[in-house]
Amino acid sequence: MTKQATLIVENLRKTIRRKEIIKGISFELKEGEVFGFLGPNGAGKTTTIRMLVGLIKPTAGRISICGYDLERQFTEAIRHIGCIVENPELYPYLSGWENLEHFARMVRDIPKERIVEVVELVGLQNRIHDRVSTYSLGMRQRLGIAQALLGKPKVLILDEPTNGLDPVGIREMRGFIRFLAETEGLSVLVSSHLLSEIQLMCDRVAIMAKGTLLRVDTVEHLLKEQARVAWKVEPLEMAKAILAAETSIFRIDGDTLITPYEPKKLSVWNKKLVEAGVAVHEIQPKLPTLEDLFIELTGGETIE
Amino acid sequence: MRRGIVSTITIVSVLAGILWISGLAMTIQDQFFSTAMPPADTTKYTKEKKADSREIYIVALGDSLTRGTGDESGKGYVGYMVDQLRKKTTKPIRVTNLAIKGQRSDGLLKQLGQTEIQRQLKLANIVVMTIGGNDLFQGGEALRLTPKQIEQAKDSYLRNLDRIFQTIRRVNKDAVVFYIGLYNPFSDLGDAKKTSAIVRQWNFASAETAARYPNIIAVPTFDLFALHVNDYLYSDHFHPNKDGYKRIGERVASLITFTEGDKK
Amino acid sequence: MSNLVYNEMLKIVRKKRLWVIVAIVAVLVALFTYAQYKRVQEMQERLGTTDWRTQLQQQIIDAQNRLNSSSISDEWRKYLQIRLKQQQYYLEHDINPSAPGAPTFMRMFIENAIDLFLPLLVMVVAADLVSSEASGGTIKLLLTRPVKRGAVLLSKYIALLLSISFILLTVAFLSYFISGAVFGYEGWRLPLLTGFVAQGEELNTANVHMLPQWKYVLIELGLAWFVCIVVGTLTFMLSVLVRSTAAVMGIMLAALISGAILSNMVSSWHSAKYLFMVNLRLTDYISGTAPPIEGMTLGFSMTVLAVWGLAALAISFIVFTKRDIY
Repeated sequence: MTKQATLIVENLRKTIRRKEIIKGISFELKEGEVFGFLGPNGAGKTTTIRMLVGLIKPTAGRISICGYDLERQFTEAIRHIGCIVENPELYPYLSGWENLEHFARMVRDIPKERIVEVVELVGLQNRIHDRVSTYSLGMRQRLGIAQALLGKPKVLILDEPTNGLDPVGIREMRGFIRFLAETEGLSVLVSSHLLSEIQLMCDRVAIMAKGTLLRVDTVEHLLKEQARVAWKVEPLEMAKAILAAETSIFRIDGDTLITPYEPKKLSVWNKKLVEAGVAVHEIQPKLPTLEDLFIELTGGETIE
Repeated sequence: MRRGIVSTITIVSVLAGILWISGLAMTIQDQFFSTAMPPADTTKYTKEKKADSREIYIVALGDSLTRGTGDESGKGYVGYMVDQLRKKTTKPIRVTNLAIKGQRSDGLLKQLGQTEIQRQLKLANIVVMTIGGNDLFQGGEALRLTPKQIEQAKDSYLRNLDRIFQTIRRVNKDAVVFYIGLYNPFSDLGDAKKTSAIVRQWNFASAETAARYPNIIAVPTFDLFALHVNDYLYSDHFHPNKDGYKRIGERVASLITFTEGDKK
Repeated sequence: MSNLVYNEMLKIVRKKRLWVIVAIVAVLVALFTYAQYKRVQEMQERLGTTDWRTQLQQQIIDAQNRLNSSSISDEWRKYLQIRLKQQQYYLEHDINPSAPGAPTFMRMFIENAIDLFLPLLVMVVAADLVSSEASGGTIKLLLTRPVKRGAVLLSKYIALLLSISFILLTVAFLSYFISGAVFGYEGWRLPLLTGFVAQGEELNTANVHMLPQWKYVLIELGLAWFVCIVVGTLTFMLSVLVRSTAAVMGIMLAALISGAILSNMVSSWHSAKYLFMVNLRLTDYISGTAPPIEGMTLGFSMTVLAVWGLAALAISFIVFTKRDIY
């Protein structure tokens, strides 16, 4: 089944004061998927997201939303996007309902029923007529999402949606995002610097660092490649030379060598080590996590 | 309900905006494109009320002496005079002081030409005035003037004074006018003889002028300051001080009498 | 667009800005009414008469006496001289420029409020119109709607114009009704003079003509509106440029106050007449008070203000539509 791409980003660049912040990134969002945007603070996630919603003008590149070019057909393109950029900042002196009415008035043809609908969707019925200044952060987050969903967008962009939520809130949010993608067929772009979160709710992940996209792939794929074996060996140098001839060595953690996990070859490699007189204290397959991949891709250990 | 408030304010604001724009349009029309239509120059006091016969209305004219310069209480001789009069009569007294510091006879003459001044004058029962001090002394310059220059100043002053009296009489036939004469503030200086002579002549000529008109009385002050002049002068050595003004005020007050019914 | 404007009006109303302004105006008008009442009383006591001609004459004499004292600044002397000649003109034509009554109070209140008080009220609304959205972060939501940025800003500007109209209406309304309780509500048809032109120390009366007070007041309100819009536009521009509302207020206040000070001492610095803040007293041209710098006229001042306003508006729109929001 081929799902339509709702958001296409091509070679996006942004230069601020002669410094290139975003160095040409491209990716696509498909209907009904949750797309994770992963990267350390300062990687350029927020800048990219702001370009996606038209707050920042790209220096070069193209963003198209449901076939509309964001720059040239701004109103048509942005109509299909719902977003929360950073914190869900709403007008604290208005009630939740008035906030929604306020934003509804900025889009053509949003009936009152739609407001009721989104309020029920995010479960804010009881407090919707209270002033936003009395809301907890979780409630504001939900109101923010309600606001983003008002215009029935095809693409939902959420910047750090679980920021500041308690564990229960985070779980709820995760469930909600999956629900939106699976049931409502939205494309959801979620940015986060928390790997565990992305791993748990995203279909595909883009890993970003220093203004470039290092990898874009499904979570399963990424994790599959990720299987590792840790060798606790002595002497290290000799073992390294032997293993390097057989496979690639990712890195060295103290007295431990890390290599790819290839179950069928493990015994062969081990034999070679033992024959060469290397003491093998421990062979440990490591659980695949995005964290390792991430650290590797972003060069978490190497210093540039 | 809330929606109602915002809508109401918006509609009211729109209407207000239209009103202010019309005001602005009117401004532009009035200030830039209208032809001037000056109001008629003739003043008509249609509902002119004659001076209340129950009150005594005093108009004071002249220069800094009538203003009361030098008297820290600010009363001047006019004030002390009124103090005295209040003791003598039950009638209410109202004073308008039109004196201007540094005024000379030509200035007073010009001032008397003003409609409003004339109207005030017309209402007056009593007029008190000082003038000539600045014509003569010119702020102390007199000591250095040649006799010829003084003579010239006196001539023009007397001409002005005559016209001043004439104007006053024309505007108000009945009011009693007290013309207060000059004193010599320099009578303790070396050339006192010379300056005193000048002041005496000046006063004499002024009194002569006053005498040509009915009910204009020249009140001398020369004698009041003849002895111990410094006791009665302000620190500027020219204007009277409180005591000096008191003496002048008392002298003028003593000349004003009231009819039997108004006496205390 | 009407929806957008409604949104902006909603925000202004719900921020309670307008009520604060209504309260400030009410308190100030009451204060000034009392002060004026005291002044009138004192005047009557001092002169022992309620006749305005006597009072005006006395003011003229007082001014003449002040003019003759040597320790008086040139600016003040010029001002007194012009006013004196004008007062004399009023006297000669038997027109009372300050006949008691609510319309007269209104007129004087506007004349005194036009260069500082009214702009201040406008600033209360204008200063955070855009900057509060930026500092509150709501600008991100506002600009990710299917509405062009220019339209968003335009709706805010229209809301500002409406608020200014409302503020002025408040001022007119309150000054009329509060002062009327003391001075009476009569006097709309009182004749007043306008068209005096101050030339140096002389007063040119060639263009003087009579206006009924209602028209005079309306003209002054129209000019006050114009001034408020220019000040509002400048504040609006700062609000676009600067994120912090406090900074906007600070800059505008500094400009307005320096204008009030400059007006008293710039007569020798001629190019200062191109600064907007010395041109705010437009009503002075109607009443005939000498302008701070020679050669300034109503047309000149209005042009200067309009240029400043249009420039500010252009800058606001260019910056707002082009700027990246971080």
